[in-house]
Amino acid sequence: MTDRRMGRRGFLKGVALGGVAATAGPAAVAAQTARPADPSAPRAPGSVSTAAESTPRKHEQTYDSCGGDYMVDVMRGLGIEYFAATPGNTFMGLHEAVINYGMLGTPKLDFITTMHEEASVAMAHGYAKIEGKPMACGMHTAVGLQHASMAIYNAWCDRVPIFMVVGASIDASRRKLWVDWYHAAQDGAAMVRDYTKWDDQPGSLQSWGESAVRAYQFAMTPPYGPVLLSTDTLMQEDPYPGGRAPAIPKLPRLVPPAAEQSALEDVARLLVAAESPVIFADRAARTPEGLKLLVELAETLQAPVCDSSNRLNFPWRHPLNQSQRQQAVVAQADFLLELEPGDPFAVSAMRAPDGSVRSLMKPGARKVSISSVELFMKSNYQDFQRYPSDLDIAMAADAEASLPALIESVKRLLPARRKSAVAARGAHWAQAHHEDLERSRQAAVAGWDDSPISMPRLCQELYAQIEHEDWSLVSGSSFQSRWPQRLWTADKHYQYIGEQGGAGIGYMAPATLGAALANRKHGRLSVCINGDGDLMFGPGILWTAAHERIPLLYIIHNNRSYHMEIMQLQAIANRRQRGIDRVHIGCAIDNPNIDYATLAKSMGVYAEGPIERPDDLGPALRRAIAVVKRGEPALLDVVSQGR
Amino acid sequence: MKPTIRHSLLVTGLLLAHAAFAQNVPDPVRGPPGDAAHGHHLFLTVGCYQCHGTSGEGGGVFGPKLAPDPLPFIAVDHQLRSPAMRMPVYTAKVLSDQDVADIYAYLKSIPPSKQPDQIPLLKIQPQG
Repeated sequence: MTDRRMGRRGFLKGVALGGVAATAGPAAVAAQTARPADPSAPRAPGSVSTAAESTPRKHEQTYDSCGGDYMVDVMRGLGIEYFAATPGNTFMGLHEAVINYGMLGTPKLDFITTMHEEASVAMAHGYAKIEGKPMACGMHTAVGLQHASMAIYNAWCDRVPIFMVVGASIDASRRKLWVDWYHAAQDGAAMVRDYTKWDDQPGSLQSWGESAVRAYQFAMTPPYGPVLLSTDTLMQEDPYPGGRAPAIPKLPRLVPPAAEQSALEDVARLLVAAESPVIFADRAARTPEGLKLLVELAETLQAPVCDSSNRLNFPWRHPLNQSQRQQAVVAQADFLLELEPGDPFAVSAMRAPDGSVRSLMKPGARKVSISSVELFMKSNYQDFQRYPSDLDIAMAADAEASLPALIESVKRLLPARRKSAVAARGAHWAQAHHEDLERSRQAAVAGWDDSPISMPRLCQELYAQIEHEDWSLVSGSSFQSRWPQRLWTADKHYQYIGEQGGAGIGYMAPATLGAALANRKHGRLSVCINGDGDLMFGPGILWTAAHERIPLLYIIHNNRSYHMEIMQLQAIANRRQRGIDRVHIGCAIDNPNIDYATLAKSMGVYAEGPIERPDDLGPALRRAIAVVKRGEPALLDVVSQGR
Repeated sequence: MKPTIRHSLLVTGLLLAHAAFAQNVPDPVRGPPGDAAHGHHLFLTVGCYQCHGTSGEGGGVFGPKLAPDPLPFIAVDHQLRSPAMRMPVYTAKVLSDQDVADIYAYLKSIPPSKQPDQIPLLKIQPQG
């Protein structure tokens, strides 16, 4: 133990003892004298009255060690940098250890203050997609975990590691207040077990350490996922058992599961023999290395790649990127390789609005998937999607870990006589990519000068300001009609991190901040374009951005509605021939319009808006980016078209 | 069959059907006379702009571009009355024939866009 810690705890001990001496009155003395002389002696039923029972915490009022410090050391040993939490009394022991021990030691474990547990987990979600590892979140077993559940589900669906420490008042005889009972559960983790990868409720500090390392190992083995440690409140607060900290278990080098070699060899043969192979990548690039490997495979085969945009799997302006016309590309394929598909059915199927489905695949075309999700899945929530009955080979393995061997086999098996045909294929797809880009440019001009501001205008005004910076788009883009993918150049893994996972709204605002937190130490310029409805699920995240001084350019795509729903409601109302003049009810976010700039300013964030004229965007962006470059968040409220 | 070819055949079929059976009906390409100002008002109030943008510029996968240079009137009318894909159906009960004509007049009134090369922010060099 360091001198610094001795000093802090020793000081507290002295103060606390003095306090007890000063305040102990006659009632306390009476309670003491009413206790049986030998508390372990056998008793008859009813011999223990409530009056005679007091808290069994009759130990000293101060102590020089605590379980929380050990937990901090375990987390630091795992490389965890941040602990995000909205405070709660069931994990105060850990909270105190993080702020007075973790934040002051090396390596530092920083406390990030949030205003909602869902924000804590969603921040960790965004952070992990940039940094490639989990950050920790603290919350109550009951009310905190209940708040966090939506964000946990998003992380589960998005295959993202989250490390959650959930305060649990396990020993009912040691609960102090009524609130401790409200915040306690016999099996709190049960509520989220369907969408967490693993959880435990360790019974001792030593087993907490082992479970923490095990949890981290599970979270970081593909498929990645959220893990949870239900952690006894008193275990956090009490001194080390026996006066010594338990040993910290060693985390082994984690090796992701690669596909079986002979199966990869079979797939390589099919790939080199195919006339028109197509690669579909969903959550394939877990790391920057995954992106490089996918480029290598595609270029070796000169095969087109369709990127789902759940990660930046493939450079957006690469000539083989055919993501803008996925259905047409899949429809002409004679071999389709799917890498970590989130919805393996939909990749090669078209769903009509009436529910009918038809396959996009040509007769005789082959389809193979490599998916780590098949190694670990649960049954209640249906995120596994519809069964893909047209699959020929299903490899339960991590795609990124399988790519090196697959690439090696493809290179070895590709006959020299095929090389000119392969090159011609590449030229064909390069031309198709060029035509896609031209179509996008043509589409972008319509409504260019409109107010509300069009999405391509907004995206291009932003891109013009960041193009020569080391930027990272930390929001999704589906609500912006994927204009960044259509017009921007992006070739680094961190330049785009995908969507929510479970399509749960309220993810974007905190997740973008978590991603920006991860980007901060790398000096990257984090930017996002997020919906107004999403922000209002938890606008307190703006305060966290200001309080923690997290540089992020936050652009509100303010279409003043829950736009997706308003479109669906229109379809239903018109089908019933009742007109759509009332469908704004429940969907529109107006009357009054929300003044997001004032909202942000009230929480210490630089803000401008509402910006309604497209010509005002460029100057506003320049001013806001100057603020972000100083290390602070900035918000622009941009009144925009629906999509 | 490519969507553009399929679309052309649909429009051609509609025009032929119109020529064979219709008398005293609006010009199938240019549409009936309409009030563009009222059409603009309708465009913003009956939900068109939500998916297609306030100038009919389109809203990604959820609503294709309608203007400038709209499809022939008969194709637009057909899509309103018997929509393909996810678009809401607009029967005459909720949108009269004259309302449709007014909306079409508004779409026709939208001026041509600039060309991408005239817009510096859209000067994008392909890679590779």
